[in-house]
Amino acid sequence: MMNIDAARNTFFEEAQELLRQMEEILLAFEAGIQDGEAVNALFRAAHTIKGSAGLFGFEEVVGFTHVVESVLDRLRSSAIDIGDELVGLLLDSGDHIGTLVSAAASGSPPDEAALARGGTLIVRLRTFLPRPTETPLAREVLPEPEPALAASGGGPLGGVDTWHLSLRFGADVLRMGMDPLAFIRYLTTLGDIVHLETLCEALPPLEDFDPEACHLGFELDLRSAASRQEIEAVFEFVQDDAQIRIVAPYAKTEEYIALIHALPEDPARLGEILVAGGALTRRELELALMAQAQTAEAGGRRLGEILSDSGAVSAPVVDAALDKQKRGEERRAAETRSVKVPADKLDRLIDLVGELVIAGAGTQLLAGRTRQGELIESASQVTRLVEEVRDAALRLRMVQIGEVFGRFPRVVRDVSRELGKDIELKLSGAETELDKSMVERLGDPLMHLLRNAMDHGLEPAAERLVRGKPARGTVSLAARHESGSIVIEVQDDGRGLDRERILKKAIEKGLVQESQSLGDTEIDRLILQPGFSTAERVTNLSGRGVGMDVVKASIEALRGSIEINSRPGEGTCMRLTLPLTLAIIDGFLVGVGGAHFVLPLEMVVECIELPAAGEADGREYLDLRGRVLPFLRLRELFEVPQSAPRRQNVVVVQYGGRRAGLAVDSLMGECQTVIKPLGVLFEKLRGISGSTVLASGEVGLILDVPQLIQAATGREGRPLESAARQRAIQS
Amino acid sequence: MHIEKTAAGCRLHIEGEMTVSSAAAIRDEILAALPAGSKDEVEVDLSGVSEIDTAGLQIMLQLKRRCSARLRLVNHSPAVLQILDLSRLGAQFGDPVVIRSGEQSLLQS
Repeated sequence: MMNIDAARNTFFEEAQELLRQMEEILLAFEAGIQDGEAVNALFRAAHTIKGSAGLFGFEEVVGFTHVVESVLDRLRSSAIDIGDELVGLLLDSGDHIGTLVSAAASGSPPDEAALARGGTLIVRLRTFLPRPTETPLAREVLPEPEPALAASGGGPLGGVDTWHLSLRFGADVLRMGMDPLAFIRYLTTLGDIVHLETLCEALPPLEDFDPEACHLGFELDLRSAASRQEIEAVFEFVQDDAQIRIVAPYAKTEEYIALIHALPEDPARLGEILVAGGALTRRELELALMAQAQTAEAGGRRLGEILSDSGAVSAPVVDAALDKQKRGEERRAAETRSVKVPADKLDRLIDLVGELVIAGAGTQLLAGRTRQGELIESASQVTRLVEEVRDAALRLRMVQIGEVFGRFPRVVRDVSRELGKDIELKLSGAETELDKSMVERLGDPLMHLLRNAMDHGLEPAAERLVRGKPARGTVSLAARHESGSIVIEVQDDGRGLDRERILKKAIEKGLVQESQSLGDTEIDRLILQPGFSTAERVTNLSGRGVGMDVVKASIEALRGSIEINSRPGEGTCMRLTLPLTLAIIDGFLVGVGGAHFVLPLEMVVECIELPAAGEADGREYLDLRGRVLPFLRLRELFEVPQSAPRRQNVVVVQYGGRRAGLAVDSLMGECQTVIKPLGVLFEKLRGISGSTVLASGEVGLILDVPQLIQAATGREGRPLESAARQRAIQS
Repeated sequence: MHIEKTAAGCRLHIEGEMTVSSAAAIRDEILAALPAGSKDEVEVDLSGVSEIDTAGLQIMLQLKRRCSARLRLVNHSPAVLQILDLSRLGAQFGDPVVIRSGEQSLLQS
């Protein structure tokens, strides 16, 4: 219905964001970093979640968050101190709010287990509250506030008082998916509505009435201990197009008079409402209206001037107004800093820009043929600008990897408790940027590597001390750019991989033959094989059947690779190498017969002429400055029909520290390449990772260099798929 | 919504949601059933109203304005009672409602 889904989604996103903030602050507390502002931020976060959840009617979220908020309020007023126990409890509570919010998002009520957990948490939270029954909502009989005209207009600083609220919602509020009455219903959680008047004067006759517009206004008196900010926060979502006026308790008569004049309704009617609600006495109203009429006649001065002259508007009111103004500005500033754009729109833009780059290159090619200097110059300028546009468009998708890193401190904390190990997490390079789609898909593999490092890598404290290491284990997570790729390292200072045990296990499982002799790196890589798990003891964390092979598969799906460096007794480093983006690459175009192939430029090391080559066990090698370089002939590999020219070239490619040569007919130079994924039919095709449209309009196939290198070096020498299918693509 | 003729006028049964999503349809049906200047007695049965929001309340207020004393609201559903309580408009409609225990606040306002 209209925009309600959008508004809800905003709420879910914001709630998750706020919960992350709370978690960060709590973890900082645990590390001993404390300040008052942080406590306030915690409180605000919980409060905002509660408020927004209330608007959408997520009662479970409101109910639970209310208790958390009460505890935070006590913390804020220094009635209780923060300790490890409370931090742990609040972290768990944050998780529970997350669960409830997710349940609300999926539209199903939270499951039994979650509710039970919530119940336990509430009981534990209540121990931090004065007495469970003494909630601010307790309906006590309070003495009527004195209509003391001499008192300050700002309202007292504590206690339960009556606020006057004057609400005129924007006509579109219903269409935005919000119900004014829901706000009023929510106000009842802040206090008691002692008087309320629904104004329906603005309601047009049935015939010319827009049933989806809001025509009602509300004047109400709320008896509540809440602050002005808290009451204002209720209306945060509608502030922009609604007129929300809040008059503080014990406000001076003039303020009410000002209110009456600021509102569109008939002053006499509003005056009656205020009298009925007890905000004004009838005599005060008459006197004030009369006085104002006189002053207006005398000097034609405006009401605001009268108010400030007579000191009627006291400091707290002005402060509150200024504060509100300032917050409004801050919010606007934040809005200009970032714009939320749906990812698919960005993808569409990048797709278009990719086509533009190709079209631009085509134009440049044609311009070059005309040999008109000015045209060539102009075309190359356009190409340069288009390339800049492409880079800028790609950067739009770039996000900092810190987005993923952010959740790990909590994981490390929980795991270190669970395992009884003292673990320090070091993060670096959190500002490294990479494609958003990659960031999203990196979370799980990184989490798994981290857990593995903590569970299997790090020794228990006692064992560490025996080995002369500090009792506290260190796990580090580092990201950096390296020659067109992103490198992420997960490193621990634990015991390192136990190669003997890995080998034994691999032989047991039939992954390798006993007679095979393997190098250290090859043994290490065995842990990436499906079905391999060396944990002697199946712990809660790892050994649930999800092994390193899953990590490897998900990294490879991102066109990345894993490298393992392990030193016995010193630790293990898992290095992930990933491309920056999945959409566009700088390519190197080569030709074999009539076919065109594109190699990712960053993998090309050099090009040489094909010398006379030696042959050994079915594979070909050549001598590259004294080093043996295995190479593949693309002509044979893809069964290109035309016969080879007299002179051929070899492109030396490198990936993951291994090199190989690819023999081709001609070298055509660099080209911008927009990767078009292969259709479902060709998904399993090995050696080809995608296709692209060249500037000339011909189709070029993008070579899967890592697979070709494997085929050439034969380490994991799986034969390439039949080339017959390859021809099917070309025809 | 369905409408039945009675001796003095008509009886409207409003079923399901009375919210912003159905308000336009309900308005049109009412306009069709009660042309301007009609002097019929109108009884509105609210027992089938499962949900009501500000838009629904606006419709009720307009019905009241159109028919004034000739309008009778009967069989208020819990959702309707709750919203009348919240908006303190029970007195304005002036129809007798059944107050169950736990819903005393209608009396207090």
